[in-house]
Amino acid sequence: MAQTYLQNTSEPTATLKALKKRRWGGLAPYLFIFPWIFGFVFFTLGPLLFSLVISFFDWPIVGKVTFIGLDNYVEMFSNDPLFWKSLFVTLKFAALFVPLNIIVALGLAMLLNQRVKGSAIFRTAFYLPSVISGVALAMIWSWVYSGDYGILNYFLSVLGIQGPDWLNDTNWSLVAMVVASLWGQGSMMLIFLAGLKGIPKDLYESASIDGAGKIRKFLSVTIPMITPTILFNLITSIIAAFQQLTLALLLTGGGPMKSTYFYAMYMYENAFKYFKMGYSAANAWFMFLIVLTLTFLVFKSSEAWVFYEGEMKKQPQKKLKASTRGRS
Amino acid sequence: MKKRISHIVLATTLMVSILSACSGNAGTANPENGGSDQTKTLRFATWDTGDALKIEQDIAKKFEAEHPGTKVQVEAYADGFDQKLAAGFGAGNPPDVMYMWDFPTYHQSLEPLDSFAEKDKDLKIDDFYKGLFNYGKIDDKLYGIPAGFTTRVVYYNKKLFDAAGVPYPKDGWEWSDFQDIAKKLTDTSKKQYGFGARAENDTYDLQGFVWSNGGSFISPDGKTIEGYMNSKETAEAIQMFGDMVKDGTAVLTGGKGQQSGDDIFKGGKIAMWESGIWPLESFKQAGVDVGTVEIPAFPGKPVKGVLAESALSIAKDSKNKDLAWEFVKFYVSNESIKMRVADLPVRQSVVNELKKDQDPLYKPYYTMLERSDNTPAFLLNPKWNEVNRQLSAAVEAVMHGSNAQEALNQAVKDSERYLK
Repeated sequence: MAQTYLQNTSEPTATLKALKKRRWGGLAPYLFIFPWIFGFVFFTLGPLLFSLVISFFDWPIVGKVTFIGLDNYVEMFSNDPLFWKSLFVTLKFAALFVPLNIIVALGLAMLLNQRVKGSAIFRTAFYLPSVISGVALAMIWSWVYSGDYGILNYFLSVLGIQGPDWLNDTNWSLVAMVVASLWGQGSMMLIFLAGLKGIPKDLYESASIDGAGKIRKFLSVTIPMITPTILFNLITSIIAAFQQLTLALLLTGGGPMKSTYFYAMYMYENAFKYFKMGYSAANAWFMFLIVLTLTFLVFKSSEAWVFYEGEMKKQPQKKLKASTRGRS
Repeated sequence: MKKRISHIVLATTLMVSILSACSGNAGTANPENGGSDQTKTLRFATWDTGDALKIEQDIAKKFEAEHPGTKVQVEAYADGFDQKLAAGFGAGNPPDVMYMWDFPTYHQSLEPLDSFAEKDKDLKIDDFYKGLFNYGKIDDKLYGIPAGFTTRVVYYNKKLFDAAGVPYPKDGWEWSDFQDIAKKLTDTSKKQYGFGARAENDTYDLQGFVWSNGGSFISPDGKTIEGYMNSKETAEAIQMFGDMVKDGTAVLTGGKGQQSGDDIFKGGKIAMWESGIWPLESFKQAGVDVGTVEIPAFPGKPVKGVLAESALSIAKDSKNKDLAWEFVKFYVSNESIKMRVADLPVRQSVVNELKKDQDPLYKPYYTMLERSDNTPAFLLNPKWNEVNRQLSAAVEAVMHGSNAQEALNQAVKDSERYLK
C-alpha cells in the first residue's frame, strides 16, 4: 500500500485519484456510525433542547401555545405544594434506597464471590430479576404486597403476625417501594462482582501474614480496592432513585395520600394527565439540575475516599515518610 | 482498495435500509384518506374494552354494510384514551369520530354540531331525554351527541339481607337507615361489611351526595369555591363515608393491590355498593341476587344524583365530516342503541319499547334521572382540573381518617389561586 502510494506520487493525476480514494475511505467509518449519530441528534439531542424551549411556554397539547418566560419555574418554586411534596418524597426514597442498594448489592456480590459448588447458578438466579421488565416486576410485587391475598402477609400470618396492607398504608408504602426497587439490582451486583474479582490475591495473602482477620481484610483491603466501583454504583443509584417512576405508576399510583408520589411521577402526571407540557419540561430540567449537582458533589468528595490501583493519597505518604525517618 | 469500497457500499446500504425503515409508513396507505380504491376510512376512537368494545365493532360493521365503500376503523384506546386522543389532536391527526365526556378540555378541537343537528330531521332530537344535551354544551354550542348515560344507584345483595333478617331498602330511605343497615350487615369475623367505600373516589361521582345535602363544590357561576367546596354541607356528606370506614361498617375498596368494589360485591363480602349501571350485567352473570334502590336522602332534603354521560364528537380537523356525522347519527339510532347494554338508552322511544323503566331492577336509574338536574363542577369552570387535584387529595385524606372540614379548608386554600 505505502509503496504503491509512493510510486504514484510521480504522476499528479494518480495522486489525486489516490487522495480521492483515501477521502472516501475515511468516510466509511462515519457512514457506519451514521445511524447512531442520526438517532442521537434526532431522538435525543433534539428533544432535549426542544424540552428546554417549551419549558418557557404554556404548552397544552390541545389549545393555544403561549410564551410565558420564567413563569413555569416561578410557579414551581413559589406556588405548587405538590412540587415540594414530591421532591421530599423522592429525597426520602433516595436516602433509604441508595445506601441500602449498595449494601445489598455488595453483600450479594461477596456471597457470589465465594467458591461454592454451583455458584454460576446462584449468579444467574440473582441476576434474573433485572432481566424482567419493570412492568412485570411491578405486577409481581403488587401480588406479593396485596393485603388480602398477598404472599408476604401469608408468611407473616404463619408466624402469627397480622401484616399491614402494605401498599395502602401510608406508614409502609414507601418502605415497600424501596424493597421492591432493590429487587432489580442485578447489574449493580455484577459490577461489584467484577470489582471484587479484580482485587489481587496477594493483597489478601500479605494481609493474612500480617495477622489480619476477616473483618480487617474486608475493611482494609476489599473496601479500599473497590472504591472506584462504589463510586460508579453510588452515582448510578442516585440517578436511578430520582428517575423512579415505573413502580410508583404501577404499584401505588403515587398513593396512598401521596406518600409515594415521586418527583418523576409528578412530572409524568403534569405532562400526560394534566397536559401541561411546558410545566413538566420545567420540572424535568430542575430534576436534571438536582442530579447534576448531586453527581458533582459525589465526584468532588470522591477525591477523599476513592483509590485507584497504584495510587496513594498524598497525606498518608508524607506521614509514612515522617515515620520512617523517625524510626531511622 | 476493494475492501474499502466494499465497506462504503456496506455502510451505505445499512444507512439507506435504516432510513427507509424509518419512513416506511409514509409509503403505505394513509389511513386518514382511506387508502386505495375510493374506500373511505373513518376513524372512530373509543375508551371501551371487552364486551362493550365488541358491540361497538358490531355497530361499525353494520354501518359499513349500509354504506358501501366505507370502512370504519375502530380504535380502542382503553385506559390511555385521554393521552392518545390529546396526542392525536396535538399532532393534527385525530380520529374523525370519538367518544367524549370532557368537553371543557377538548371543545376547541371539536366540530360544533348545532348546524348538523338542526338541518337533520332523522336525528329526532326530541326523542332524547331532556338534559342530556346540557353535558355536551360549552358556551351554548353543542359539541357532542349523547350516546349513552347512567345514573347512580345503590346495589344490595338480597341473600345477605335475608341471612341477617333485614328488610330490603326502599326508595325514599335516608342515610341514617343506610348506616343502620350497614351496621347490621357487618360481620368482621366473616370479613363481611355493610358498604364498600372507594379508596380513591372520583370527586365527580361524589357530587350527587354533596348536592343531596344542599352543598356543592363550586358556586353556580363557577367563580368561587370558598364557602362551597368547604361548606358545612359538603364536608358533612364526605365525612359520612370517612366515618363509616373508621367505625368498620364500610371497607375501603379498589386501592392498589386491593380488589375492586365490584369484585368484592360479587364475592358477597359487601352488602351494599353504590355505582352506575356498568357492573349490573356482571353481577347478574356472577349469580348475585341483586337489587337496586335509589340513593338515600339527607333528612328533609331532596335526593340529587349525578349523570355519567358518554357522547360522540367529531374532530374539527376531520376530513370526512359529513360521513362522520352519518356515523354519529347511525350510532344513536334506535337500532344501535338497542345493541348496547353497558349503559342506558338515551332515547325515550327505545325505553318505552323495551319497557326498561318498569323493570324493578332498572327503575331506580330512571327515578334518579329525574333527580339529576344539577350542573357538575367541571362544566362550570375551565380550570376545574387543577382544583380537582387538591379536592381529590382532600377526599382521599378523609377516607384515611382525616377530618373532612379541615381537609377541605386546606384544599380550598391550595386551589383558590387557580381560579384567579
